[in-house]
Amino acid sequence: MKPLLGTLYLLGMLVPGGLGYDRSQAQHRQEVVDKTATPWSSLETYPYNRYHPMGEIYQWMSLIREKYPEVVTQHFLGMTYETRPMYYLKISQPSNNPKKIIWMDCGIHAREWIAPAFCQWFVREILQNYQDNSRIRRLLKNLDFYVLPVLNIDGYIYTWTTDRLWRKSRSSHNNGTCFGTDLNRNFNVSWCSIGASKNCSDSTFCGTEPVSEPETKAVSSFIESKKEDILCFLTIHSYGQLILMPYGYTRNKPSNYKELIQVGQKAANALKAKHGTNYRVGSSIDILYATSGSSRDWARDIGIPFSYTFELRDNGTHGFVLPEAQIQATCEETMAAVLSILDDVYEKYGYSNSAGKVTSTTMVLSLLMSFRSLF
Amino acid sequence: INSKKECQVDLEFTTEHYNPEEGEERLGKCSAQVFFKNEKPRPTINVTCMRFMEKSKRQQEDYLLYKHMKQLKDPLDVISIPDSHGHIDPSLRPIWDLAFLGSSYVMWEKTTQFLHYYMAQLSSVKQWKTDEDAIDFDYTVLLHEFSTQEIIPCRIHLVWHPSKPLKVKYHCQGPQAPEEASGIEGSAAAPTMGLTNY
Repeated sequence: MKPLLGTLYLLGMLVPGGLGYDRSQAQHRQEVVDKTATPWSSLETYPYNRYHPMGEIYQWMSLIREKYPEVVTQHFLGMTYETRPMYYLKISQPSNNPKKIIWMDCGIHAREWIAPAFCQWFVREILQNYQDNSRIRRLLKNLDFYVLPVLNIDGYIYTWTTDRLWRKSRSSHNNGTCFGTDLNRNFNVSWCSIGASKNCSDSTFCGTEPVSEPETKAVSSFIESKKEDILCFLTIHSYGQLILMPYGYTRNKPSNYKELIQVGQKAANALKAKHGTNYRVGSSIDILYATSGSSRDWARDIGIPFSYTFELRDNGTHGFVLPEAQIQATCEETMAAVLSILDDVYEKYGYSNSAGKVTSTTMVLSLLMSFRSLF
Repeated sequence: INSKKECQVDLEFTTEHYNPEEGEERLGKCSAQVFFKNEKPRPTINVTCMRFMEKSKRQQEDYLLYKHMKQLKDPLDVISIPDSHGHIDPSLRPIWDLAFLGSSYVMWEKTTQFLHYYMAQLSSVKQWKTDEDAIDFDYTVLLHEFSTQEIIPCRIHLVWHPSKPLKVKYHCQGPQAPEEASGIEGSAAAPTMGLTNY
């Protein structure tokens, strides 16, 4: 299986560039070749406070799973439009008890570079600390983390080679005259009803039909297959400093709205405590704008109770082009917010009961032992 | 106020030195009323501020900026400020500041209660000299409109001399009909402010 994936990966990287029409394609190929010679020697020196091109992120994933084989596995999700492999990392503490799932994806919009940076940071934090940090250890007892560091791989690469401010995927439409679907308008929830465009030249183009894009299909099918076990769906974007809950397509509120606000607000407070950054919390249609076909709304409507969109730093000063100097602080504060949400999710699903069970079993055993000693 | 046709936003904010030094306290405390009418751009703005920098100090700072700009390599031909990774070379920072100021005028001209703009990136800058010794900038700014998520390139021509108001001429592209206009910063309802107090 592995060698096949490796071949697919190479093909995926080279085929689009290999057609070699114009300067940007040639540049892309060169970029890929240059980047595969790692500027850093090992995971220990991987700079989490810098932005990384896709080639480096693929390599980082391999290094992570090689370093932490007891808890990390890498899984194939599907292929992008330009035939690149999409991988997610599963972080799971082996145990006998069944686990619930936390899903996090980053980079559904290509230009939001701080998002993939955060996904990598998150993975590093969990893996570096799960053994000696009781909070993280506790979470991993009953929860598995599934992290997709870059959802819109083709678009992300395009922002490195050609257009830093590109947002959509790179699918071809209208006989190659028009490119890209807004993947976050392509999910099957009130598709293209509001806040999205049917015009393929627009940035919010919803696609030719719901889930028309391979990237959307890959994520949807997977989440759908695991939906009974997914407690929390987090999708990371920038910018705006917001924690958004459903919905974008209607002013109606989800059934657990009060709880979502409470958990969201607590997360924003935890975030602010780190570096003073202000985040606003609310439903997408109220504090941002109307949208349809978003992954967050779709996740909520198939039954995943906690579904949030994070819009990270900043507030417009740099926007999408957030300076690398801010990566660390942004990731630290966002980590605090995400852990706060995970703690709440963990509490809600009654995992503190398992402690009670252990105590009563111990009691019975000690009683039995003491009876035995009487005879 | 008829909420469909008109919209008023009341703001309270403090200003600070554009390049603040460590521990420098915030400057003026301001309140503003922004009035949008009939979904049209160019909202009316009434601003009042207290406790600003002294006029003479403002002028001094403006003149320092002017001198710095004059000293820059001529002709200046730069691509992308900031670069893809968000870096702005400190020597080029005043260019970004000035471009930001010029762009703010363009953004004001386009802003409605439904359309909000941010300056995403400067994508090319050319500096020319004029006879009156003013700073003369020709640049392309990429504006990000929030509700449509579109990137709109605008060519802006900016002429500045510290003792006179900023002159801005621009031409924006985009899916909408390209617009072209010019104006003088400070001639609208907002009072003229020194560059450093922006």
